[in-house]
Amino acid sequence: MAGRLSTETNAAAAQAAAGPARTWATGQSYWQLAWRRLRRHRLAMAGGGVVLVLMVASALSPWIAPYPPTHIDLANRMSPPSGRHPLGTDELGHDVLTRLLYAGRVSLTVGFSAALASALLGTVVGLVSGFYGGWLDNVLMRFVDIMLSIPDLPILIILARYFGGSLLGIVLVITVFGWMGTARLVRGEVLQLKNTDFVEAARALGASPGRIMFRHLIPNALAPVIVAATLAVGSAILTEAALSYLGFGIQPPTPSWGNMLQNAQDFIWRTPLLAFWPGLMIFLTVLAFNFFGDGLRDALDPRLRTG
Amino acid sequence: MAAYLVRRLLQMIPLVFGISVIVFLVLVMAPGDPVDLLLAGNPKVRAEDIQALRKIYGLDDPLHVRYVKWLWNALQGDFGYSRTYKVPVLELVWDRVANSMWLTLPSFLLALAVAIPVGVTSALRQYSALDYAATFFTFFGVSIPAFWFGIMMIYLFAVVLRVLPPGGFATPGVPPGWPALMDRLRYVILPVVVLALLQMAALTRYTRSSMLEVIRQDYVRTARAKGLPEGVVIGKHALRNALIPIVTILALGIPSLFAGAPLTETVFAWPGIGRLIVESVGGGDYATAQVALLFLAVLVLVFNLLADLAYALLDPRIRYD
Repeated sequence: MAGRLSTETNAAAAQAAAGPARTWATGQSYWQLAWRRLRRHRLAMAGGGVVLVLMVASALSPWIAPYPPTHIDLANRMSPPSGRHPLGTDELGHDVLTRLLYAGRVSLTVGFSAALASALLGTVVGLVSGFYGGWLDNVLMRFVDIMLSIPDLPILIILARYFGGSLLGIVLVITVFGWMGTARLVRGEVLQLKNTDFVEAARALGASPGRIMFRHLIPNALAPVIVAATLAVGSAILTEAALSYLGFGIQPPTPSWGNMLQNAQDFIWRTPLLAFWPGLMIFLTVLAFNFFGDGLRDALDPRLRTG
Repeated sequence: MAAYLVRRLLQMIPLVFGISVIVFLVLVMAPGDPVDLLLAGNPKVRAEDIQALRKIYGLDDPLHVRYVKWLWNALQGDFGYSRTYKVPVLELVWDRVANSMWLTLPSFLLALAVAIPVGVTSALRQYSALDYAATFFTFFGVSIPAFWFGIMMIYLFAVVLRVLPPGGFATPGVPPGWPALMDRLRYVILPVVVLALLQMAALTRYTRSSMLEVIRQDYVRTARAKGLPEGVVIGKHALRNALIPIVTILALGIPSLFAGAPLTETVFAWPGIGRLIVESVGGGDYATAQVALLFLAVLVLVFNLLADLAYALLDPRIRYD
């Protein structure tokens, strides 16, 4: 990220790259300034903090969880919270706290992987579409329109039924409907950047299309992609939870917040907390990503600030 | 305009055809064909029987033959039988769509009734306490898992307060007519509120940003400058223009209302089209899944067209020829 300007041969051309150049005088890079703005955004920092805690807790779950993930305490099924089981047990005798921690690993892994995959695919499609234009642009963007107008949940259900059992499968399935927003975003950025002076200059100096794309277009289109990807983590976690709740996603005995809710509803009369915890975790996690992503948008692109 | 409409309707025919091919292929490639599912767990079946059954169902034919057969029958109004419910698929799907209407229509109206006033007020008083509250609320709305929210509502209203049923469609034994309607309303309340809340969040956001954009326009300033009362400026000059993009969003959102209902319908055990899709895909009832999905696809196309038409009708700057 550093030196994204230092490679520029033409100082005047660098000036054309709106945001970054103006920060030169203060000796602070674009990213340092963005970080300063982000730090002042209280909700974003709270969201980021929650995400960080969740990531650490999930990563450490083998050490901090009271039991192994598939440990069954047959004598204490559907027990209320107690010293042995801080959040009680489910209908099979699994420790709920343990399951929540391990499920967090699954949900976060799915969320991050699907968001990353969607961002990559979207960037490639948007880049190609915006850079080459013409009929290719037309075909790709009509395809994006079609994908965006398809109500995704029923199709996701079918896809998840075939491929959804595994972690990789569910990530791929979510990615199928996750990339279009980024593609449009990147295409828009590329269309704008393509005609700026510094890209013209690079082209005049004989830079190959590949060099222009990777050196000039992608780095300058990165900020909105990062924002979109952050928000996408939240929505991927929601999608995974929904599919798992319907029984088409992550399959037990692997715990996921979604599939923990699947049976919990049946026991709502006896142990309502069983349905409370997994949903609360999904809600908090998605909310945290949304707050963080929103703050990130304001921090990375102050021009976009919508208030 | 008429020529445009005709052209769009004609364009729809190959699209529906294409979608039906895709849906057909996706479902045919599913692991486990109807015969496997029919006979699963039945030890008395011999290999010859399986062969005979596959022949009867036409599963040995090549794919294109099977599709043409399906299409030929479909064009004559025969969409096959549901394997699970043993009734004609078309009847089943219509039935479920009608059931879904009980939820989609009221929730849609409820969402509108809340989101538009809140969004407009939020925009008019930007950065006020109400604006922050509304923004916060939209964050909650887009972050909460629908099914969990539904379960929590069931817990609150059915388990703790015991004022509403925990799910289902009707109480058995209630006489038809007025009592049945009142009974139905009790079942409708919770799922409608859950569905409405989800739409509300996004709709409030759209209304707010659309309104914010419009009230900065010159014509709004002009209206104020010539001394019109604020109510007229907002209601007549600003709101009507701000609603144009919202109408489009609404029209495009109606199909997803049906499509997004699987979760809510599952939580509340509501026998609607969304639940039917979940059941038919999960249970290998492909004849049903095919038609249910095709119905959604056609719904999307029709409402896309309606959105475009509404846009042209509301905004004289836009013309189709």
